[in-house]
Amino acid sequence: MELGLDNQFKIDPRTKIILLVIISFMVFNEAPLYVSGILVLVPFICLFFSDYKKAAIIYIFLYVIARYIQIYLLPNTTGIVSILLVTFSYTASRMLPIFVMGYYTITSTKVSEFIASMEKSNVPKEIIIPISVIFRYIPSVYEEIKSITNAMKMRGFGFTTKSLKSPLKLIEFYMVPILISAVKTSDELSAASLTRGLSNPEKRTHLIDAEFNKWDYILLIVSIIGLGIYSYYFIGGVVLA
Amino acid sequence: MSERFAVKDLITVGIFSVIMIVLIFAFGMLGYIPILMIGLPIIAALICGIPFMLFLTRVNKFGMVTLMGLILGIVMFLSGHTWIPIVVFTLCALIADIILKMGDYSSVKNSIIAHGVFILGVFGNMLPFFILRDYFLGAIAESMGNDYVNVISPFLTYECLIVLVILTFIVGCISAYVGKLVLKKHFEKAGIA
Amino acid sequence: MLNMDNVSFSYAEDENLADVNLNIKKGEVILLCGESGCGKTTLTRFLNGLIPNFFDGKRQGEVYLDNKAISEMPIYEISKYVGSVFQNPKTQFFNVDTTSEITFGCENLAVEKSEIETRLEKVVNDFKITHLLDKNIFKISGGEKQKIACASISAVFPEIFVLDEPSSNLDSKSSWEFEQIIKKWKSQGKTVIIAEHKLFFLKDVVDRVIFIKNGKITYDWHISEFKKLNHRDLGLRQLDLDNLTAKRTDYYSNNDDFLELKNFNFKYKKVPALDINNVKIPKNEIIAIIGKNGAGKSTFANCLCGLKRSFKGEVIFDNQRLKRKDMLKKTYMVMQDVNHQLFTESVLDEVLLSMDEENMDLAENILINLNLIHLKDKHPMALSGGEKQRVAIASAIASKKEILIFDEPTSGLDLKNMMKVSENLIHLQKLGITSFIITHDFELIMEACSHVLHFEDGKIIDNYKVDEEKLKKFFLE
Repeated sequence: MELGLDNQFKIDPRTKIILLVIISFMVFNEAPLYVSGILVLVPFICLFFSDYKKAAIIYIFLYVIARYIQIYLLPNTTGIVSILLVTFSYTASRMLPIFVMGYYTITSTKVSEFIASMEKSNVPKEIIIPISVIFRYIPSVYEEIKSITNAMKMRGFGFTTKSLKSPLKLIEFYMVPILISAVKTSDELSAASLTRGLSNPEKRTHLIDAEFNKWDYILLIVSIIGLGIYSYYFIGGVVLA
Repeated sequence: MSERFAVKDLITVGIFSVIMIVLIFAFGMLGYIPILMIGLPIIAALICGIPFMLFLTRVNKFGMVTLMGLILGIVMFLSGHTWIPIVVFTLCALIADIILKMGDYSSVKNSIIAHGVFILGVFGNMLPFFILRDYFLGAIAESMGNDYVNVISPFLTYECLIVLVILTFIVGCISAYVGKLVLKKHFEKAGIA
Repeated sequence: MLNMDNVSFSYAEDENLADVNLNIKKGEVILLCGESGCGKTTLTRFLNGLIPNFFDGKRQGEVYLDNKAISEMPIYEISKYVGSVFQNPKTQFFNVDTTSEITFGCENLAVEKSEIETRLEKVVNDFKITHLLDKNIFKISGGEKQKIACASISAVFPEIFVLDEPSSNLDSKSSWEFEQIIKKWKSQGKTVIIAEHKLFFLKDVVDRVIFIKNGKITYDWHISEFKKLNHRDLGLRQLDLDNLTAKRTDYYSNNDDFLELKNFNFKYKKVPALDINNVKIPKNEIIAIIGKNGAGKSTFANCLCGLKRSFKGEVIFDNQRLKRKDMLKKTYMVMQDVNHQLFTESVLDEVLLSMDEENMDLAENILINLNLIHLKDKHPMALSGGEKQRVAIASAIASKKEILIFDEPTSGLDLKNMMKVSENLIHLQKLGITSFIITHDFELIMEACSHVLHFEDGKIIDNYKVDEEKLKKFFLE
C-alpha cells in the first residue's frame, strides 16, 4: 500500500460505508438511467476490480434486464405476468445496486480492517465489539446449522413425511442446540477475550493502518458527482416541471 | 471500557444479534416471493421470540436491548438494506428497553410487550418496499387499467401498513410468550437460563 | 513468582477448591492433573484472573503474582503477565483471520505498531507458522488453531503461560508439536502451568506434577517420582504410551461376515476427497479409523452415513445392497459435538423420538442397559458429556441402526470416562452392531478396538487386525 502507487484495488471500509449511504438514496426516487447511471456503476466498479468479475457481470446483466423489462416489455403485458414483471423490475432497478454494494461490503472486508478503520473514526467500543463478534460468529452458526441438519437427517427428519407432519418441531430442534451453543460461546469467548486484554481502557493500536488511497478518493468523487446529478435532477426542477 | 457495559455484555449482544440476523435472513428469503414479502415482519416476529427471551435472561441493565437494535440496524445497512433500518430498529429497541426498565428487567409481561415492540424494527427493511408502492401502482395501472389497481391497492396502502404493524406486534407478543414457555421447557431444565 | 495462599473457591454450593497452597517458581513447567471436575480448571482461573474478574463465587485466600495480589489487579493488567490457552479452539478466537488473531492481544494492550510488527515476525519464526498467516481460521485444522492460539499469547510476551486442556482436540502429531511449543517457552525461561488429561506428550517437558483430588492438592511430585507411579491407579491417562498393550487381539465373531464398501469415491469442489474402490471390513467389530488431519476420515464417515447427497457408493452386507438412502437408515454417527444431535426435553423422549412406533417398554429397556434409566426425565443438555454420548447411543439403538460411527468420542475425557466409552462400545458389539471409531486416542484403541483402518490422502492405505507395532509406529512417531 506504499503511497497508493500500486494498482491493487483496495478500498477502505469507511469508503464502502459512505458509498452505501449514497447509493441508499436511490431507493427513494425513480430516475432515468442517465441520471442514476453513475451510481448504478459504482458497485460494478468495486466488484469488477476486486476479483468478483463474475458477480459484477451478473449484476449488470440483471440490471439491464430489469431496465429493459421496465421500458419495453411492461407496456405490452397484462395480467399476472405483468404483476410479476413489475415486482421484479422495479425491485431490481432500485434495490439491486444497494444489495450488491452490501454484498461487496460484507464479502470483501476483513474484520481486522473493519475494526481498524472504525476505531480510527472513533466509533465507540460498544458498537465495534458486537459487530466484530457478529463477523466472527456467523461462520460458526453456519457450521452448526449444517451439523444439526445432518443429525436430523440421521434420525429421519430430512425431506420426509415424518418432518412435514410437525414443522414447528423442526424449528424447535434447530433452535435449542443453536441457542445452547450461543450461550456457551458467549461465555467462553468473553472469558478468552478478557484474558487477552480486551477490557483495557487504553486506545487500541493496529497492525493494519486504515488509510485512504487513490481508489478511495476516485470512488468517493465519482459517487459524489453521481449523487450531485441525482439530487439536481430532483431538486433542480426537472421533476417540478 | 466504559462503565456502562462490560466486555461480556457486548459479546452477548453480538452473539444474540447473529442468531436474530440468521433467523431474519433465512426466513427473509421467503420475502423475495412477492406476496410473502408483506408477511416478512410477521414471520420475523414469529421466530425471534425464543432467542429474544433467552437474550433477556442475560440482560440486567438499561441499554443492552437498544444496543442490539442499533447493531441489527447497522448490519441491515451494511448488507444493503439502506440506512432506514438503523433509525427504525434503534427506535423500536429503545422503546422496548424503556418498557423493560419499567418492569425492572424481571417482569414477564413487560418482556413480552418489549419483544412485540422490538420486532417492529424489522419494518425498517420493509419501508423501502412501501415507498416503491406508487411506482408499482402506476406501472400496473398503465398496463392493466385502474380497475385492477383498485383491487390490489388496498394491500399496498398505508392503512395496510398500520394493520400489518398491529398484527406484527400481536404475533411478536405471542411468540415471546411461546419463547417463555420454551425457556421453561428447555433452557431452565438444562440449567442455562 | 506465583503464590497461592490458602485459596478456596465455590461457584455455587459445592466447593471446587479447598485450601490450596502452591508456590510456583519462575521457569517451572507444571502439570496439573486429576479426574474431571477435580478443580484443575478452577485453579487455572485463579492464575489468569478470570476468578474474580469473570466467574462469580465464594472466594477465600489470595493469589500473588510477584507479591502483588491478583484480585486487586484489573484483568487487562494481568494479561500482560499471564497468557491463557483454552480447551475449545472454536470459542477462544475473536478474529476470523489468523494474522489479526496473533496480534489481537498486543493491539488490546496498546503496543506500538512497529513493535507489533517485530513481535509478529518473532512468533511466526519461533513457531514456524509462516504458511498459516492470513488464513481463515475456520479453514485450518484443530492443531493449527491451537498453534495460532499459542502464537497469539506469545506475542504479548507474558512471563507465565496457563493452559487449560489445550490438547483435547489434537491428534498425536499435533500433540507432539505442542510439546515443542512448550519446550520453546521453557527454553526462554517462561513459567508454564498446564492442566491436562492427556499426558503422553508431556513426559519430557514437565518438571513438576500437581495431583488434585476433590479440590485439594493431594500430591506434589517431581517428574522423576511421577514417572515411577502407576498412573491408572491414580485415575490418570497413560504417561508412556509404550507401556500399553492391546486388549482385543482376537475378533469378536469368528465367522467370515464382512462389510463390503464399493465405490467410495467423493469429490469436494472437483478435488477428490475420498477414493476407495473396494474394501472388506469384518462385521460386528469395533474398528478404529486413524490418520492425520485431512486424510479423509470425516468425509468417509459422512459418506458412510449417507449424508453426502451426490455420493454414489454402496455398502454390501448380509446380502443386502445399501445405497445412500438405505445407509441413512442403517447408520448413525455420534458426533464430536453431541449437543447437535439431542433435540428433546427429556432422555426418554429422545429415545422415543427415534422409534418408528413409540414403545415405552423397549425404550426403558435400552436406557437400563446403558445405565441411563435414573436420568430418564432429565433434560439431555443438563447431563455430563459422557451421559450425553450415551443418550445419543440410546437413540441410535432405538432406531435399529446397525452401523455406528463415533467421531472422536474420547477427546478431552479422563481415564474413568474413557473406560466408560470403551464399555459402551463393547455393549454395542454384543447387540450385533458394527462400530467405527474415528480417533486419535491410542489408549482407547488399545482398550476396545480389534481392527484398524488407516487413512491417508482420501485412501485406505492399511486395513488390518489390531497390531501394536504398527499402531505404535503411527502414534509414537
